[in-house]
Amino acid sequence: MFRLADWLAPKTVVHAHCDIPCGIYDPAGAQQAARTVARMVELIGQIDAGSTTLADRNKFVRCVEVKEEHAEIVKREVQVIWSDYFKPEHLEANPDLHTKVWNVLKLAGKNKQNVDTEAAAQLEAAVKEFSEIFWSTKK
Amino acid sequence: MSAVDRAAALVQGVAAGIPGLAERIPGVAPVGALVDGARDGPWRVLVAEDSMRPALEPGDWLLTDPTIRDWPRRGTIVVVREPDSDLLAIKRVAARPGDIIRTSDGPIRLSPTQAWLLGDDRAISHDSRQYGPVGLDRLLARAWFRYGPAGRTGRLTAR
Repeated sequence: MFRLADWLAPKTVVHAHCDIPCGIYDPAGAQQAARTVARMVELIGQIDAGSTTLADRNKFVRCVEVKEEHAEIVKREVQVIWSDYFKPEHLEANPDLHTKVWNVLKLAGKNKQNVDTEAAAQLEAAVKEFSEIFWSTKK
Repeated sequence: MSAVDRAAALVQGVAAGIPGLAERIPGVAPVGALVDGARDGPWRVLVAEDSMRPALEPGDWLLTDPTIRDWPRRGTIVVVREPDSDLLAIKRVAARPGDIIRTSDGPIRLSPTQAWLLGDDRAISHDSRQYGPVGLDRLLARAWFRYGPAGRTGRLTAR
């Protein structure tokens, strides 16, 4: 169907180029949260598993809680950038974006379920990769 | 290029931007074989990003003149191919060939083909402060009129 707007709209996009990401999108929040998860896994590992002292039990519970919380932050931050920031042309340049995001979310879940140094390292790496894709679209 | 040639070029450009119209007007060449000088530059552009606010908003539709052959006067908005990224960018001419720019590395005199470009929103703009002077070979067009969105139409002024 004929639409006047389609007919008049410019075909060339020119950028009033900014250095600051427009809007609020920044994967730094997800990266920091992933780093926190890894640090909590490390701290939990340092607690004597057989200890029943109040101080150790308190520390254990706190670390698990922070790990849980920050794994959730990773999921939320990545999901928001994925759904709100990325556009079809970004997907064209990064065809595996959906798989990578899915992988980050799965790894975040895995880190909630387990206390696993390797899974924590994988989560950090996956978020770093996601962040690199984000910044590549700003160039 | 004479004023008459420029006017003819603009008519051709507008016609060329309208599918099917250029072919129907006798004497109007198809796009690509337009006037000398209008090689690659656009006739109409859509603004993205915020660095030219408040003068230009993302989503503005502008008419541009790609027949331009030299840096226009200070304050004019131009379309350039950015030196560091090859992105199509829209900025304002802050200084022209021969002008002296004060930078953190000391003064620079612009060569006869160079201009210094800045975005209006200095706090966020990526411009000559990052990529330095811009050569004439990167100048594509001069923006002169906003034709959309409705309510914001009008000539673009130098400032």
